[in-house]
Amino acid sequence: MKKYDVLVIGAGIAGMETSLNLGDMGYKVLLVEKTPSVGGKMILLSKVFPTLDCASCISTPKMAATAHHPNITLLTSSEVEEVARKNGNFRARIKRRAVFVDPAKCTGCQECEFACTVAVPDEYNFGLVARRAAHIPFPQAVPKKAVIERAGTSPCSFACPTYIKAHGYIALARAGRFEQAFHLIMEDAPLVGTLGRACYAPCEDECTRGSLEGPLPIRRIKRFIADYYYSRHPEPEYGPPEEKKDQKVAVVGSGPAGLSAAYFLAQKGYRVVIFEAQKEPGGMLRYALPSFRLPKDVVERDIKNITALGVEIKASTRVESLRELREKGFDAVFLAIGTWEGRKMGIPGEELEGVEDSIEFLKEVNSGREYELSGKRVLVVGGGNVAIDSARVALRLGAKEVIVQYRRSRKEMPAFDWEVTDAEEEGVKFQYLKAPVRFIGESGRVKQVESIKMRLGEPDESGRRKPIPIEGSQERMDVDLVILAIGLKPATSPFASELELNKNGTVKVNSKTLQTSLPYVFAGGDVVTGPSMIVEAMGQGKRAAFFIDLFLQGKDLESAEYEYKLPKVSREEVLSRQLTHSKLPPLERKMVPPSERVKDFREEELPMSEEEVLYASSRCLDCGICSECHECVRVCPADAIDFNQKPVKMDVEVDAVVLSQGFKLFPAEKKPQYGFGRFPNVINAMQMDRLLAPTRPYNTVLRPSDGKVPDNIAYVLCTGSRDRTVGNPICSQICCMYSLKQAQLLMGALPLADITIYYMDLRAFGKGYEEFLQQAKDMGVQFVKGRIAKIEQKENGNLLLHYEDIENGGIKKVAEHDLVVLSVGILPNPEIAKIFKEEKLELDQFFYIKQVDEDLSPARTSIEGVFVAGTAAGPKDIPDSILTAGAASAEVAAYIESRRRAK
Amino acid sequence: MKDKREVIREEMAMRGKITEILRDGPKTVPEVAQALGRPTEEVMFWMMAMRKYALIEETEEITEDGYYKYRLKEGRK
Repeated sequence: MKKYDVLVIGAGIAGMETSLNLGDMGYKVLLVEKTPSVGGKMILLSKVFPTLDCASCISTPKMAATAHHPNITLLTSSEVEEVARKNGNFRARIKRRAVFVDPAKCTGCQECEFACTVAVPDEYNFGLVARRAAHIPFPQAVPKKAVIERAGTSPCSFACPTYIKAHGYIALARAGRFEQAFHLIMEDAPLVGTLGRACYAPCEDECTRGSLEGPLPIRRIKRFIADYYYSRHPEPEYGPPEEKKDQKVAVVGSGPAGLSAAYFLAQKGYRVVIFEAQKEPGGMLRYALPSFRLPKDVVERDIKNITALGVEIKASTRVESLRELREKGFDAVFLAIGTWEGRKMGIPGEELEGVEDSIEFLKEVNSGREYELSGKRVLVVGGGNVAIDSARVALRLGAKEVIVQYRRSRKEMPAFDWEVTDAEEEGVKFQYLKAPVRFIGESGRVKQVESIKMRLGEPDESGRRKPIPIEGSQERMDVDLVILAIGLKPATSPFASELELNKNGTVKVNSKTLQTSLPYVFAGGDVVTGPSMIVEAMGQGKRAAFFIDLFLQGKDLESAEYEYKLPKVSREEVLSRQLTHSKLPPLERKMVPPSERVKDFREEELPMSEEEVLYASSRCLDCGICSECHECVRVCPADAIDFNQKPVKMDVEVDAVVLSQGFKLFPAEKKPQYGFGRFPNVINAMQMDRLLAPTRPYNTVLRPSDGKVPDNIAYVLCTGSRDRTVGNPICSQICCMYSLKQAQLLMGALPLADITIYYMDLRAFGKGYEEFLQQAKDMGVQFVKGRIAKIEQKENGNLLLHYEDIENGGIKKVAEHDLVVLSVGILPNPEIAKIFKEEKLELDQFFYIKQVDEDLSPARTSIEGVFVAGTAAGPKDIPDSILTAGAASAEVAAYIESRRRAK
Repeated sequence: MKDKREVIREEMAMRGKITEILRDGPKTVPEVAQALGRPTEEVMFWMMAMRKYALIEETEEITEDGYYKYRLKEGRK
């Protein structure tokens, strides 16, 4: 355990001063600051009173000295979680948060900040302006290193089986950066156009906006991005990687899993050959999905993203032995042959001509076979997506009537509800709770179907209620074609002697690595999972590529970490960040009218316009805060961004502890009669200090409501201090003086402006303070004795202040101003007491840290060896904070030395 | 007034529109707000962030009503 002499908590002016004093005395100091920079609130001020010296000019040398002092170890973005007594000393547990930037590499150039796509309120400017998720806190920050604010993984990105950063591409689309959005998707999935059309979008089910008015149309935005990019880039912009490896990988099957694996392996430089049994690559994408859902030119363009890397596709080549591939020189194999065999019903008449398997039917249609169904009745058996696709294809082939028979009710149907609705709109008829019991033929061809009605019993192992035939309910119907869509299974029998298979024919794999019983063979996609989603198969391909790469490098697979993700941000956390949410209705999916779309195989879904995409993407709530758009990674010249950075916990041993965690500002919303947070031109004094500071958020002092230069500014003193109604009865000691300071600075910045200070009584108790007050009066600042009762806003943004004019007979008056500054009080930071687990850190009656011997030993607290400095012990101005830091330093030194002498 | 966080989040989507409006020449916050059809206090957030990130800058001109005008800044995109 690392040992220090003193732990100082909080690196504001008191903490820095204490650390510097102790460091200069030769003590080893560990200074822990929860924010990314030292400097506290003082560095954010314009000037200090009463000298009107520049706060930055005073603070920055202290900040630099603190960071570079040989005896001070500084931990920013860190918090002390626990302090406990250990052998007379203290053991402190510290957590250093991940900031996702390597400070050793970051040069503070701000390129990441300029490129970042997420805007959030800038706490260092007290919400007057935006900052970015990737940011340097403020211009004088020490250390001047970027940090990335990440609350977790956004639910949409977290839900994606191939970890496409959905939030990231939504954020890029929102900023109009569609090409970058395409490249971001390509980091995780090469079939962008396909997913934009045919993905079932698990991301949308998780979208937090879904609990407001409805989720973002994430899939359709992806389609727009793909179309935007492909229309500008008919061919990929890249070629094979420059660095090639000698090892070869065979990919068996060119569906989404195989294509995805090939893409990621080829990117790593492996020589990849895809073996495809069919004439054309694409697997289910080309042969199963109807072209009205997924046009084949989109599949072809997507496949170019893979072949551009040098991947060779050997079509019409069926693989039936994995060992043979090994003998041909392949170092590893990825088996991704999908599920191409239709399950049988096991009822009489299935062998008749005109009783077809759905997947064969769809394959034949997609291969160009001409079916003549005009005027015919088609029966589709099943309730999954393939059944619905088959029914809709049959309609487009001219069938007079298409009937879907499903043995359960619509509620239990595996097909998505919108698919069923689309089919219904087109005229497909659904017969629920009904299933064929035999097919009746004539001359070897199906003529009739005999079906039986069902009722639902108890749930079976799938969780769905089991259909039970109703005896005697059989009925017959004439049919011309029957399409069976009751399930698919993999055609793995050729590999049964080489690989361990599951009972259902799927390949047995290690669920983490996707390695099979034959170590050089990995398997993924539907052949492992059974029929699933395109994006799930692609996720398996990506995963397999990762572990095949490790395998080929001879590395251990089990210990490897695949795709580190932060935990998912909760919906409640996201929604609680805002007090209100505007109603932003979702955009309905636009389709070709049903009567038109059944005429042919034209794409049924209409694309979104750019304007619609901007609207739709701006509904995003930025759940994870950082969107993972990776723009920072792209632009960082120092390669300093590290999304895999993890928090670090460390234990240290120290002789003494100094608490200098500072104060909180009174939240002015707690005085609702003043309109803070509702009226833009009612600001707090810290915001005014920012407006006056050289690093101000605007070009000068402006009204937040409209950018007007104010010319009649009011100050409301004692906002939230000396006020029992808000639980803070004490004087904050600094409000009168900082208001006088700001008034004087304003008179310099805006010579024509009128400044009025509304006060109860003015407290100018420190050195030079009375003269400072007089100076303000001499400059023309007006003083009105009277507490403000309420503030109202006029239509032009001006404010009406209702007050009692005490010095003029106590009459009620109303004054108009164009900007109001609330001189807010300060509050304690009592949470610090919770870190002491064994001994109680006592607080005073106002919840500041109790000074147990205020007269003679002002830094002592109720715990021996724990000291206090600055405003942690009570309200005070900067000179007094520094004085208490000096006192704390001396007392700590005396404490340590006396103990050491005693030993 | 809408929640500040919500307004600020919209900045990214508004940048392009504000840039287009300022291509016609320097404008005050109320003038841009009118062209966008959005409240001035929302536009203030977006334009001040665009200024902070060097996309626009103020001119020396200040209107009789006390408003600065802002123009597109060359350089960063």
